[in-house]
Amino acid sequence: RIMPVRWSRYNPSYLEPEVKTESHQKPLEELTEEEKEQMDLKAVRPIKAAPATLSSSVFSDPMISKFTNMMMKSGNKVLAKSLMSQTLEAIKRKQLEKYHKAPENEKETIECNPYVIFHQALKNCQPIIGLSSITRGGKTYQVPVPLTDNRKRFLAMKWLITECRENKHRRTLMPEKLSQELLLAFSNEGPVIKKKHVLHKMAEANRAYAHFRWW
Amino acid sequence: TLRLVCTTTAVQRKNAGASGPEKYTEAFIKKQIEEFNLGKRHLANMMGEDPETFTQEDIDRAIAYLFPSGLFDKQARPLMKHPTEVFPEQRKIQWGEDGRPFHFLFYTGKQSYYSLMHETYEKLLNVQKHQDQLIAQDLPLPNEKRNLAGNRWLTKIELEEMLVEKVSDEDYSRFIRLLQKLVALPCTDIEEKYIQKFSKEVPAQLQKVVIEPLQYDEQGVAFSTGEGKRKTASATAVVYDNGTGKITVNGIDILHYFPVLQDREQLLFPFQFLGRIGKHDMVCTVSGGGRSAQAGAIRLASAKALRSFVTEKEVEFMRQAGLLTDDPRVKERKKPGQEGPRRKFTWKKR
Repeated sequence: RIMPVRWSRYNPSYLEPEVKTESHQKPLEELTEEEKEQMDLKAVRPIKAAPATLSSSVFSDPMISKFTNMMMKSGNKVLAKSLMSQTLEAIKRKQLEKYHKAPENEKETIECNPYVIFHQALKNCQPIIGLSSITRGGKTYQVPVPLTDNRKRFLAMKWLITECRENKHRRTLMPEKLSQELLLAFSNEGPVIKKKHVLHKMAEANRAYAHFRWW
Repeated sequence: TLRLVCTTTAVQRKNAGASGPEKYTEAFIKKQIEEFNLGKRHLANMMGEDPETFTQEDIDRAIAYLFPSGLFDKQARPLMKHPTEVFPEQRKIQWGEDGRPFHFLFYTGKQSYYSLMHETYEKLLNVQKHQDQLIAQDLPLPNEKRNLAGNRWLTKIELEEMLVEKVSDEDYSRFIRLLQKLVALPCTDIEEKYIQKFSKEVPAQLQKVVIEPLQYDEQGVAFSTGEGKRKTASATAVVYDNGTGKITVNGIDILHYFPVLQDREQLLFPFQFLGRIGKHDMVCTVSGGGRSAQAGAIRLASAKALRSFVTEKEVEFMRQAGLLTDDPRVKERKKPGQEGPRRKFTWKKR
C-alpha cells in the first residue's frame, strides 16, 4: 500500500532512486523473479530526484553521509564534512603508525582502511535489544524490546557523537577524539561498548517484564 | 422558481451521485438538452458558421467572444456545455408507485456497491469451481501471469463515477483487495472481460519525453544543450563531444566557482554514472538560488543534455537513478501563528 510520509512534495506513487551502477549492468538472466517484477514496476512509475548527498562515485557512502548529518549543527554541512574527513585521515595516520612499528607477523592483522574501521566500529556499537517504558497499573516498567535495524544504527551513531562531545578534555578537537573512540570501538573496548553492555544487562535484568510487550 | 440554464457551472462537482433527493427530473434534463441543441444552432447562425458542423470548441470560442469576462476564476466565466457535463449524473427514483424499491439491496443504503461486491465474489467462486474441476480431471493448471506493472486498478473517483454512488475509503480498499484476490488465482482467463472493466492501462513507459538529436557546430564537434531548475536556480548546460573533461560555469572554472566538494561531486555525477568523465567538455550558465541549488540545477541540465549522446537503455537507467526528474522540493511557507514553517512559538505557561 502506498502511504505518504506526513506530507512530501512528491506524489505517493514516486519510487526511490537507485544510484549504484552495478545493478544496471547485470544481464537479464541473473535476475530473480522479484527483481524482474521490481524492474517492471520501475519502468512504469515515476522516480524521485536523487538528493544532493547521494552520488554514484566510490567515495560516497550512505552510512558516512548519515553520520555527517547527525554531527552537523545548524545546517553547517561544510564544517561537518571537513570534520569527518579529518577524522578518517586521523584514523589512517594512527593505523599507519601502528603498522610501521609492528613486527612482521602482525602486519597483516592491522586494518588500515578507515572506512572498514568505521563500519566495523559502528557494527560493534549496535545494541541487539533495547528498553521501552510501558505503563501498567500506574507503574512504569522498562520492558526489553527487539530493535529495528534503523534504530540500532541510529543509537550507535548517537552514542558515539554524544560521547565525543561530552567526555573530552577541553583542548582536544572533535576529529582526534572521534578517531580515538572509533579505534577503541573497533577493538571492542571503550566507553560506547560499555554503554551497550550496560543496556544489555539492564534488558537481561528486566527479563521478567518481557511479556508486557504486545507487538 | 429559478430557471437553470446550462450557462453556469454552479453544479460542477467532482463526485457524481446525488447527495440528496433528486433535484432534476428526467423530463427537465431532456428539455435542457433540446434547448442546448437549439441554442447551438442559433449560435452557429449568429457566428455565420455551419450549424451542422459546430463543435464544442467552436461554442467555447464563440461564447468567449460574445461574453468577454475579466474574472480570474475560469469556472466563474460564462459557459455553454452539453447538459450531461453540467448536471451531475443522477439516479432515477429507485422505487415504484407503491413505494416498493426495485433493487433487492436498496435498504442496505449502498445498493450498487454491495451488488458489485456480490457479483465479484460470485466470479471468484466460479473461478474456484473451475479450478477444482480441472484438478479433478487431472488437467494441468494454466499458469500465465498477468502483466501486473502495466495495468492499474480504477481510482476511487472513477469507481464513484461508474456506480453513480458515493464510495467510502474502506469500501474502496475492500473492493480492490477482493479484485487482487481474484487475480491471484491461476485460472482467471474466464473472467478476463469482467476484470478488464476495472483495470486501466498505464502508459507503457515513462519515456514520453522526446530526446533531441545531436547538433554540430562549426568545427564539426557534436554538442547538445539542456536546461535544469532546482529551487529558484535555473541553469543551461552545453555539453561538447571530444573534450578533456573541463567544466566552466558562468565563465569560471568549477574549482573556483564551487569550493565545496559536495557540489563538484554533484556536477560530475551524471558523467561518472555513464562512465564518460574525460570525454565531454561542458559550458554552463546558472543564475539564482544558493550554492547547492545551483549545483543541482546544473546536474539536471547536464543529465538532460547527455540524453542525446547515449542509448535509450542508458537513458532509462539515468531516469531510474533519479538524474532526470525535476526536484519539486521548495521552501515551505511560514504559517500565521507559528514562528516558521513548522516551528511553533515558545510555549509559556502564563
